[in-house]
Amino acid sequence: MKNSKPMIDRYTWYETIGIYAGIAVLMFFVLAPFIEGFLVSLKPLALLFSSPYSFWPENGSFTAYFTLWDRVPMMGWYIFNSLLLAFVITVVVMCLVVPAAYAFARFEFPGRGALLGAFLAVNMFSGAVLLIPLYRLMRSLGVLNTYFAMIVPGVAFLIPTAIWLLRAYMMRIPRELDEAAWVDGASRLYTLRRVILPIAMPGIMVAAIATFIGAYAQQFIFALTFNSKTEYMPIGVGLFAFFGRQEVIWNELMAACFIGITPALLIIVFLQRYLVAGLTAGAVKQ
Amino acid sequence: MSQLVLSDLRKSFGDLEIIKGVNLDVSEGEFVVFVGPSGCGKSTLLRMIAGLEDVSGGEIVIGGKQVKDLPPVKRGIAMVFQSYALYPHMSVFENIAFPLRVEGLSEDKIKERVGAAAKVLQLESRLQQRPGTLSGGQRQRVAIGRAIVRQPKIFLFDEPLSNLDAALRTEMRVELMSLHQKLGSTMVYVTHDQVEAMTMADKIVVLNAGTIEQIGSPLELYHKPDNIFVAGFIGSPKMNFLSGTVTASDRGNVVVDLGKVGTIKLPRGGHPDLVGKTVTVGMRPEHLALGEDKFSFEVTPGIVERLGIHTLAYCTLADGKNFVALFEGDPEINQGVSFTVGIDPAKCQLFDSDGIAVHKESQSGMHSS
Repeated sequence: MKNSKPMIDRYTWYETIGIYAGIAVLMFFVLAPFIEGFLVSLKPLALLFSSPYSFWPENGSFTAYFTLWDRVPMMGWYIFNSLLLAFVITVVVMCLVVPAAYAFARFEFPGRGALLGAFLAVNMFSGAVLLIPLYRLMRSLGVLNTYFAMIVPGVAFLIPTAIWLLRAYMMRIPRELDEAAWVDGASRLYTLRRVILPIAMPGIMVAAIATFIGAYAQQFIFALTFNSKTEYMPIGVGLFAFFGRQEVIWNELMAACFIGITPALLIIVFLQRYLVAGLTAGAVKQ
Repeated sequence: MSQLVLSDLRKSFGDLEIIKGVNLDVSEGEFVVFVGPSGCGKSTLLRMIAGLEDVSGGEIVIGGKQVKDLPPVKRGIAMVFQSYALYPHMSVFENIAFPLRVEGLSEDKIKERVGAAAKVLQLESRLQQRPGTLSGGQRQRVAIGRAIVRQPKIFLFDEPLSNLDAALRTEMRVELMSLHQKLGSTMVYVTHDQVEAMTMADKIVVLNAGTIEQIGSPLELYHKPDNIFVAGFIGSPKMNFLSGTVTASDRGNVVVDLGKVGTIKLPRGGHPDLVGKTVTVGMRPEHLALGEDKFSFEVTPGIVERLGIHTLAYCTLADGKNFVALFEGDPEINQGVSFTVGIDPAKCQLFDSDGIAVHKESQSGMHSS
């Protein structure tokens, strides 16, 4: 039998089975909560408390996906708030981080190492540790219960990772390109705009996706603490609306989760298309 | 008129002095090559002229203007980098047009100038391609194109051919030389390859450890090296060095006892003080011939390389030292079988104990060759 694959990629049948079995186990481990969450969203509420517990949703339906809008009319707002917060945070972070990463990657200045270290150290504190001082700060500034109160700490905690990510990427862009542009009369900013930014695009996209996901995930804790206005709530906090006095509407809660994730997921899939590798090909001979 | 003048140029990184006082005068239209072993400071020197490195001391004057504190673009230079430094996201056209766009020229002007440069470099059909799709030689031409469009007074090349394979390098070398003829501009070229230096330069500057060892035309350096370093660096294969003791020295001749190899009488205007001193006699491999000559000695070949056009023999001398000889064609020599080689002493070099050349006319005022 003719095999078109190169020798290094050929496996016997039992190796192939082993590889796919390994992948399946790992995937199941990672996806199990999502699978169960999805199954729960399909079940009628009564079935959830049946004993013995049945994982398979018998006579399951998508009803919960429609009824949840009646129970929590603000759901649309929560999703919108989440996206808005994550989007604004990402944009602000990228505007701050791109020039910063360029500076950290290219310029020698006193305190560069210390600053980078400090950024890393900030990352080691979880936001939760600083909640009380942050709360006091927000209160004295009078910005509690605004979008601002959720955006600013979000930005602050996401900057370090983004700087480290993007700096590493920019350091891989050959210095000769800066020098060539400098010899040709370009200013630093012109070089950054016309030469470095286009080449760093894949790196910027990685940093943007990481920031977006980070902003989406961490907004919960800031929203919970710094905001008590329902109309500003992001989805993470908004989901509490399904927690009633007597019972939790699990199936609608799960359905709301999946609806809430979908836009973010779509955005990430969309951004991923810009992660073009090998854009630097031909810049310099390595 | 001299277009580029370096006077007592110095560069230090911390306590380490990389360039130790360089003086150089380049006239308009000259092709100057900086050559030297790696780490000798030749690239640093070029980057100082370009304005990419700060000057620690001394002056750089281009076209009569002190440029030490000016940014590169105001110095009237253009530089071609070793790695080409092309912008990968731009087309060839945009790459070449980059300096003009920075300058803020009109679209028509840009088209015209890029078109002219592309024509000179035969890149017309490639203008819409990205650098990534070009071959090494074409990328090199794009890099040169980007330098040409600015119409600089001086072109600076930092080892531009070192990334190309041997065949392409020879081709590009010829192309660069004809470009120099066409443009007639001053070019300063850095290389570690002495063949490039010999073939391309009007003037070679041999650098070693941050100082200039010698400045001269290729043949001057070949025939009259000022010191052992230049003698050893210029020429391939390397010059053979034999050490010996001077037994007699007068206005006409210097007699050197080379131990087991023999006693050679060199036509040199030697100072009487030389007698008794240890000196070095240099013999270029290609100046040796099979059989007897005015000075002859025995060698035993170890490895013999036959290249058709000539034959290289890596030999040992009677005193066990290594010796390389080069003969035309493919003479009958065999590994391990000793034979006699001869050389005309007039073609030998003589260096005193400090490694400084003892020239024929030096000290005595004689001008025979």
